[in-house]
Amino acid sequence: MRGGCGASGTVAIMNIPVELRYTKDHEWVSLDGNRARVGVTDYAQEALGDVVFVQLPTLGDEVAQGDVLGEVESTKSVSEIYAPVAGKVAEVNLALEDSPELVNGEPYGEGWMVVIELSDPAAVESLMTSEAYAALIEG
Amino acid sequence: MVPFGGWEMPLSYPTGTLEEHRLCRSEAVVFDVSHLGTVRVEGESAHRAIQGTFTNDLDRVSPGRAQYTHLLDDSGGVLDDIIVWWIDDETFDVMPNASNTQRVSDALAGAVAGDTSGQLKVRDTTAERAVLAVQGPDARQRLAAVSADAAAVGRFRVAGFEFGGHACTVAGTGYTGEDGVECAVPVAVAAEFWDALLDAGIQPAGLGARDTLRLEAGLPLHGHELGVGITPLNAGLGWVVGWDKGEFPGRSALETQRAAGVDPVLRGLTTEGRRPPREGQAVLRSGEQVGSVTSGNFSPTLGHGVAMAMLSPDVEPGDVLSLDARGGEVPAVVVEMPFVGRKP
Repeated sequence: MRGGCGASGTVAIMNIPVELRYTKDHEWVSLDGNRARVGVTDYAQEALGDVVFVQLPTLGDEVAQGDVLGEVESTKSVSEIYAPVAGKVAEVNLALEDSPELVNGEPYGEGWMVVIELSDPAAVESLMTSEAYAALIEG
Repeated sequence: MVPFGGWEMPLSYPTGTLEEHRLCRSEAVVFDVSHLGTVRVEGESAHRAIQGTFTNDLDRVSPGRAQYTHLLDDSGGVLDDIIVWWIDDETFDVMPNASNTQRVSDALAGAVAGDTSGQLKVRDTTAERAVLAVQGPDARQRLAAVSADAAAVGRFRVAGFEFGGHACTVAGTGYTGEDGVECAVPVAVAAEFWDALLDAGIQPAGLGARDTLRLEAGLPLHGHELGVGITPLNAGLGWVVGWDKGEFPGRSALETQRAAGVDPVLRGLTTEGRRPPREGQAVLRSGEQVGSVTSGNFSPTLGHGVAMAMLSPDVEPGDVLSLDARGGEVPAVVVEMPFVGRKP
């Protein structure tokens, strides 16, 4: 996620699950076989403010690492979401169409955005660990 | 917290913008709007100074009332939009937007320079008081637990009340489209007053909700719907102009514009779906640009997008236009404002 407003002021205590991998743009990835579930982090949702609209990719889209996956709009800003890994869009979270607030309420749960079928599951290894991500946002 | 006109302001409290918005429409919230300036104008010629500086006609109101007015440049562009609190016969509190306080002070100082009575005083008292706006259908009922006098002030009336042994001022004004009041309290008791409001069940709300609320209410924001190059007539605020009074800056430009026809004009637009229209988006009619969005967002009350836009004068309510949004054109219907609630 990039663009829009950054968080300002002090960093509140953020939830950063250890079992996930992260990007510097505040996406998280949960790997299950060759399927990577993707969402934005607790830090990201806090910085965004109340999410009112999520634009997701089309099923079957092929994405390269770093491609724009979609957009998240809050009452104050628009931010892009980037593909943390390359592959094919295998699922999109249709619940976000009517309930985008799930991104705020459950960023690592019901607020997930897409599932990408990885062309190379090992690519996830290149992403940040929870420790590295915590260091980034506390930077 | 975000920087705003030289102040640090909360975009939202932990409640979040959408919930703060909902509470203002259904119960009561308080905004800390101390960033609004206060310029106290006093003296025998205070009335004349204000009458000759701003657009609205003070003779339409009387002491103990509030009036919305504009400060224009010589081309009729809106330098600031202002509420004037007529405290008593010869005392006025002029309340500009945060970043425009100096402009308004300067304009009034010009009136002092031209004053022959030698008794006209203009003083920026912004740092001496906090202003807390209590808004929502339950605002008065909950405020009454803190001050019955403050809660009783009529719409667009101005009155005094006492809190913690200090003299305070209240006006039946606001910027949300809901009933409510704005209280100016001396800094010495401001924190205590704020705490008392929260104890009375009034929830704090931030700038984010203030913006979505005023947008739904169709109220202009300086720097968006008003500004240099935009006259009150462009913004659909001809009622702010006192045509029947004497000279004020910008008057002849407005007369010229009125005779020639006003172009563009401010209109309301609604879009389907939740995606917020955004400032700067082009508004198209059959592919041709007829204007652009000045403010837009998701309307929490309506559940879809709403926008204000400066449009060609031949656009009418009911017309179906489109917004040039990222990723394609979005249909937009021209509607009467306000989008929500009563007329201001």
